[in-house]
Amino acid sequence: MTPFFQVKNLLVEKSGFKLHHISFSMLKGEYVIILGPTGCGKTMLLETLAGLHKPSKGEIILDKQVITTLPPESRHFGFSYQDSLLYPFLNVEDNILFGAKARHKHKEDKTLKRLIELVHIMDIKHLLNRYPHALSGGELQRVSLARAILINPSILLLDEPLSALDPQTRQSMRCLLQEIHQTEGLSIIHVTHDFNEALQLGTKVIVMNHGTIQQQGRTLDVFKQPNSLFVAQFLQRENVIKGKLFYKGNDLWFKDLKDSWKLGPLSKDIFYQDEALYIMIHPGQLQIGKDHPNSWKTIVKKVVLNSTHVELYCKETISWHVSLSWNEFERQSIQEGSTIFLSVNPQSVHFIKTE
Amino acid sequence: MDLKHKGKLENYIFHSSFWFVFCFLILFFLLLIIGLFSYSDMKTILHIFKHPEFRFSLIFTLFTSIIATILASLVALPSGYLLSRKKTIGSTILDTLLDMPIVLPPLVSGVALLIFFGPFLGKHLTEIGIHIVFTPIGVIVAQWFIATPYAIKTFKQTFQSIDKRMENVARTLGYSPSEVFRKVTIPLAKNGLIAGVMLSWTRTLGEFGATAMLAGITRMKTETLSIAVFLNMSIGDMNFAIATAIVMLIFALCLLIIVKLFLGKEVWL
Repeated sequence: MTPFFQVKNLLVEKSGFKLHHISFSMLKGEYVIILGPTGCGKTMLLETLAGLHKPSKGEIILDKQVITTLPPESRHFGFSYQDSLLYPFLNVEDNILFGAKARHKHKEDKTLKRLIELVHIMDIKHLLNRYPHALSGGELQRVSLARAILINPSILLLDEPLSALDPQTRQSMRCLLQEIHQTEGLSIIHVTHDFNEALQLGTKVIVMNHGTIQQQGRTLDVFKQPNSLFVAQFLQRENVIKGKLFYKGNDLWFKDLKDSWKLGPLSKDIFYQDEALYIMIHPGQLQIGKDHPNSWKTIVKKVVLNSTHVELYCKETISWHVSLSWNEFERQSIQEGSTIFLSVNPQSVHFIKTE
Repeated sequence: MDLKHKGKLENYIFHSSFWFVFCFLILFFLLLIIGLFSYSDMKTILHIFKHPEFRFSLIFTLFTSIIATILASLVALPSGYLLSRKKTIGSTILDTLLDMPIVLPPLVSGVALLIFFGPFLGKHLTEIGIHIVFTPIGVIVAQWFIATPYAIKTFKQTFQSIDKRMENVARTLGYSPSEVFRKVTIPLAKNGLIAGVMLSWTRTLGEFGATAMLAGITRMKTETLSIAVFLNMSIGDMNFAIATAIVMLIFALCLLIIVKLFLGKEVWL
């Protein structure tokens, strides 16, 4: 399928900061999340896509047309910042219609019909005559979104739209964004540092660090298979352990700094033999029980009870984080201080090369 | 002495010493104004409005100062905006250069203007029919020169306080840079701009040194209110001078109050 939007080898330099080797593409109607720590250049990338910074190198292509040097007003991208940035001298209705006014379409029936639709979706009808200073954080953000969507943008660019909101409002805004994406069929690029947002909203995720892309792909793929220690740590993946892999007969063994233990037979080829690497095991993939021939011993240091599952923090030589169902927890009668045996299906182990 | 009492005493000394200095200053300023009023009376102040010289200098001052303020604002608008948005080593040097009339004594500014519009450029200006030295136009030029940096400074600070991203959003919504300036930047800067205009006007109303040097001190020709005070003080007409000073004082105070109301905080220069 031909990509709807493409960025090719972008280089942007501004105030001593450099975005480099930025290449990615998105399909029409896709929800792309740009994820990265503060200061990694996410906002600068978004502003460059909007035409607010000129790239020194590279191409931006929208619907087969090169738009690299097109000014922001001709790109037709909607943009919403973290702090909503509504115009304080305009009421909510005029703020939403501000983009249509630029094109002298604010009095057209089509625009006013769209305004009514959006106001209904965003649940802001009662706010239309109010001024921004009288709105709450969530309301400001909903109006800001409506303003960006009213111009029927080719792509909606969102810069940390949920960061300034309290957890409850954030969750309802996430649902709203999901609804807008689905019902309006919008192509969205959303910048955030919260990987939970990426998991809930993104169909594709791009992880950035130090001005460049570290990894990109389908959200779940990136989450399950981070390609570097940075991505694994940034996605708060646990049970990431440094060591070496080696074979003994048909069995795959892993050796960390102190111990070696057998992961079990592995059918697929492993190219990392004797190379220093990290293994990553999802807390839910660790099985508890002595029956497994390749199990290793550890001691439960802390038990955290959650409404849906139980988490165990274990340590003997290595720290392990185990997540298990309530049924399993009760069946095993585990307590803090208990000795348990862990095992893993080697197919569930993800290998990360050292940088 | 226990710690609790020591803390209380320290607090008391700290606050009362600050209040003492502050009250002393306020008292001094109030006494200055009272002193000025005590030297005159309401009848003299009202009577002065009938005096042809006062009428001339009042209308002349209002006329020249309004034109000078408009010109200063027109120049300060793009200059203040550029200085607020472009931050380079060069902009700091340019900014300092534009501050020159603030740090120079107005008299010295007047000398510089006199040389520029006299021996330096005067001949060429005369050839095209422009006479600045010792004319009412000179008054406007001197007032403009002194007031412009104040307008630039206030405008610059106002533009700096505007989030650049507000302008960015407008660009993405379809506005060109000039439309963004008119429809977003100016409305956002409105209060600061009004304050800057008022502040410049206050400055032009009281201008004396540069005006005296460039336009001269000629009764009923280049006689602004400040020059009227000086002329009448020098010939010993204290009633006229002090009544004029009081009118100027009331006018300046009213303008400053308007400035502060618009700016919403202290004017920082």
